[in-house]
Amino acid sequence: MSANLLQPAFANPVLDSQHSFRSAIKALAEPGVIQTLLQPSQEPPALEGLDAATHALCLTVLDLDTPLWLAEAFDTPVIRANLSFHCGCPIVSDRRKARFALLDESQLHDLSRFDLGNDRYPDQSCTLLIQLPSLEGGSTLSLRGPGIQTENPVSLPINGDFWQQREFHNDFPRGLDVFFVAGSQVLGLPRSTRVIEPICDSKERA
Amino acid sequence: MNSAPDSTPATPAEHQARQRWIGVLAHSRSDELLRHEAALRDADYQLIRAAEIGMTLVRGRMGGTGAPFNVGEMSVTRCVVRVAGGLTGYSYLAGRDKVQAELAALADAHLQGAQQAYWLKELIEPLAEAQATRRAQKEAETASTKVEFFTMVRGDN
Repeated sequence: MSANLLQPAFANPVLDSQHSFRSAIKALAEPGVIQTLLQPSQEPPALEGLDAATHALCLTVLDLDTPLWLAEAFDTPVIRANLSFHCGCPIVSDRRKARFALLDESQLHDLSRFDLGNDRYPDQSCTLLIQLPSLEGGSTLSLRGPGIQTENPVSLPINGDFWQQREFHNDFPRGLDVFFVAGSQVLGLPRSTRVIEPICDSKERA
Repeated sequence: MNSAPDSTPATPAEHQARQRWIGVLAHSRSDELLRHEAALRDADYQLIRAAEIGMTLVRGRMGGTGAPFNVGEMSVTRCVVRVAGGLTGYSYLAGRDKVQAELAALADAHLQGAQQAYWLKELIEPLAEAQATRRAQKEAETASTKVEFFTMVRGDN
């Protein structure tokens, strides 16, 4: 039995998850803008291996109907026990069956086999929750697309493999929506957002 | 993982004993548990899942063997606590009484600990007795309303 691994989740499950959901939706509506997911008083107690915002987002979006895929770094007895207990989500080892996936930075070179949804139901795709050490500090890219007036600069500390993989697995309207999470912050990257490297920008126009 | 007492798998006998006291706690009345509130809460404990009210679908089988059908929904209150020492207590109760659910979960945690005999004697046995009395009373009341239907066969003397 895993009962001894369990720990409390949201102090106020209904309101805290509603607040967290509101912030997550805002993050997807304004791609590339860093949002604070929850006020510190609303954050769930720390769960070993998960940042506050990652934990809160998991508690918010996962339930019995959302199979979850865990990257190796997160596949610990503590995380398994607590997410199964508080969210009731099935944890799957096959990426194809997952509705949500929890990844760390070591997984970003390979986004294959996640469900991209289908043309009739593109919303049935897998949503990636990617926990990073920070949401800033990498090379700057520009985001364009719905929810962005002109351009939003982002400087996520991830390398080009991710952007290539994202491009490769984006067959609009099918595709992957991504939440980048670090500490208490979250940044949304929906499939509709286009990524432009400022340096290449001039070449494209030429 | 670590050696908290409930990490070892329960033997069938322990399992049965726990099923029994969880059943007794589920049939208890709120005021019966409230009498023990001070004793039950007299421990450091943490709410793993604070008492919450939900609905569950009750299914039944006609005569116990027929095809399953939905009887209806009922409200259920559940709670999980951890007392100092790492024991985790669970409760699922019919109804909407959060305090009772918390007390029942605490009782389940205490009953798995070193003081099991004490709690069985002080809490579970009196509760079980009261429940047996209530059930017998109810059965007696019901039995007095029982009607036997029979047919006299005509012409058979």
